[in-house]
Amino acid sequence: MLQIVVLRYRLAFGWTEVTSDSLLSAFLFGFIAITFWYQCRYNSLESANILRVLINHALAAALTAAIWLGLIYYFLSRILATSETYLTFLEASLPWRYFIGILLYFVVVAFYYLLIYYQSFHEKLVRESELKSLVKEAELKTLKFQINPHFIFNSLNSINSLILTMPENASEMTVKLADFLRSTLSSNDVPKKPFQEELRTAKLYLDIEKTRFGEKIIYHENIDKAALGIPVPSMILQPIFENAVKYGVYESLSPVNIRLTTRLESHTLNIIIENDFDPENITGKGEGVGLRNINSRLELMYGQPNLLKTTLAEKLFRITINIPLEDE
Amino acid sequence: MQPNFRALVIDDEKLARDVVKKHLESFPEISLAGEGSNGFEGTKLINELQPDLVFLDVQMPKINGFEMLELLEVQPLIIFITAYDQFALKAFEVNAVDYLMKPFSRERFQEAMNKALQSLSEKKPQASQIKNIIAHHDSKSESLDRVVVKSGNKITVIPVDQLFHIEAQDDYVMLYSTLGNFLKQKTMTYFEKQLPPAEFLRVHRSHIVKISAIAQIELMGKESYQLTLSNNTTLPVSKSGYKKLKEIL
Repeated sequence: MLQIVVLRYRLAFGWTEVTSDSLLSAFLFGFIAITFWYQCRYNSLESANILRVLINHALAAALTAAIWLGLIYYFLSRILATSETYLTFLEASLPWRYFIGILLYFVVVAFYYLLIYYQSFHEKLVRESELKSLVKEAELKTLKFQINPHFIFNSLNSINSLILTMPENASEMTVKLADFLRSTLSSNDVPKKPFQEELRTAKLYLDIEKTRFGEKIIYHENIDKAALGIPVPSMILQPIFENAVKYGVYESLSPVNIRLTTRLESHTLNIIIENDFDPENITGKGEGVGLRNINSRLELMYGQPNLLKTTLAEKLFRITINIPLEDE
Repeated sequence: MQPNFRALVIDDEKLARDVVKKHLESFPEISLAGEGSNGFEGTKLINELQPDLVFLDVQMPKINGFEMLELLEVQPLIIFITAYDQFALKAFEVNAVDYLMKPFSRERFQEAMNKALQSLSEKKPQASQIKNIIAHHDSKSESLDRVVVKSGNKITVIPVDQLFHIEAQDDYVMLYSTLGNFLKQKTMTYFEKQLPPAEFLRVHRSHIVKISAIAQIELMGKESYQLTLSNNTTLPVSKSGYKKLKEIL
């Protein structure tokens, strides 16, 4: 466009000369410019040797500008061979055309680099989000519930004892343990399950511990019927019961109450677990790892922090879990 | 056969005690003298009944099996029974009478009993073995978080953060804590090693103090220092103790 204006009005050439010159120059350059793409691809700006890249481009610019000029001159001198003034002008204009050629080369290259940058940036974004979901999956896997082996050994010891002393109860206990183990195994494949299933697994656990500790565990529950069908992350309840047994029952000389309450609110399901706790007990090392695990899992699944809260009243340890309700 | 030896079972799970009792039925030379469900009952029963053999759980409420052993006036033969293997290997290394892992077979119980009966019939003094086990338990625990003491019939569990001063007294140490003062048969070296090093400092051959309980340090004479605790007790500070104090404060 600029070329047309300059040629027509400043230099007062005829329309034939103007259009031939302009169109030919533009087309030829456009054609050559396609090859710059490879030049850019193979001379990545991220490569270590930036000087080499610059030299490459400078050489390429000089060469392509020369080829371009050569072609322009070859065609125009033939097409417009009749116009004497034009030919002199053409010859005279070669140096500034050469200069413009080099300039254009760098403009196009810059544009290509921009394009490449945008492309790789976009790819990076895609890869990053893929990576993020992979990491999340892996994190969820490592945070997955693991059965405390001592719980199994102690349960087997109880079964062994029952076989010797009360064989009829041994069978019941064995089935409970198997039932519990099976549901924990399957839970590792299902991220969420209805609250009542989660509750069933957790109560199996408590039942087994009750066989071990007898009257030392007193369990109460107050459950909103509407909460039973709500999907909750699997294996969030059992580790909390385990926590209550470990720090409440194991360390206590007197019976320990464990209370489960659920409250269904408009946007959340609140699950509250309380247990009697003797503040005199010096808490052992590693306490809270299981609880932190649950909190991290909840955060990963719902994208909200602090869905699990703990409060320690005078002699009562309370855990509150807020499960955000999913929109149907 | 008339029972020659008396045994006690101490475990906080009834079913776990039942297994031992059931297996013991096939050993007519052993009579069951009683059973306890925690370290407090255990201490009382052992000191009163003076049994020959004790089946002892490790994990129990308030005070564990090892801590319970520290409170005994008499030292019976001990067979540990636990679901945890971390003490087991150590116990074998120090040649404990035996260490049964829950659950255990009748054969395994028989084996443990054979060892125990042999020791009992040889009337070998067991105290040294028990001491070994305790010492081993001491050395493997990371850092002490409580000390169990006994005065008369009363057992007290002192959380380490309630302790502020430990003083050497012949074969004993005097523990000064917010729960009172107690004598304990342990060495100063033991406490120096086991107490959290960031919180306690041995300032003198005969004194370990809680660093946060130090009120002031005064220069008494040439290169001799004296320390005052927040309860106004004054103690001497040794040269090396002063050097350590200077580094920390």
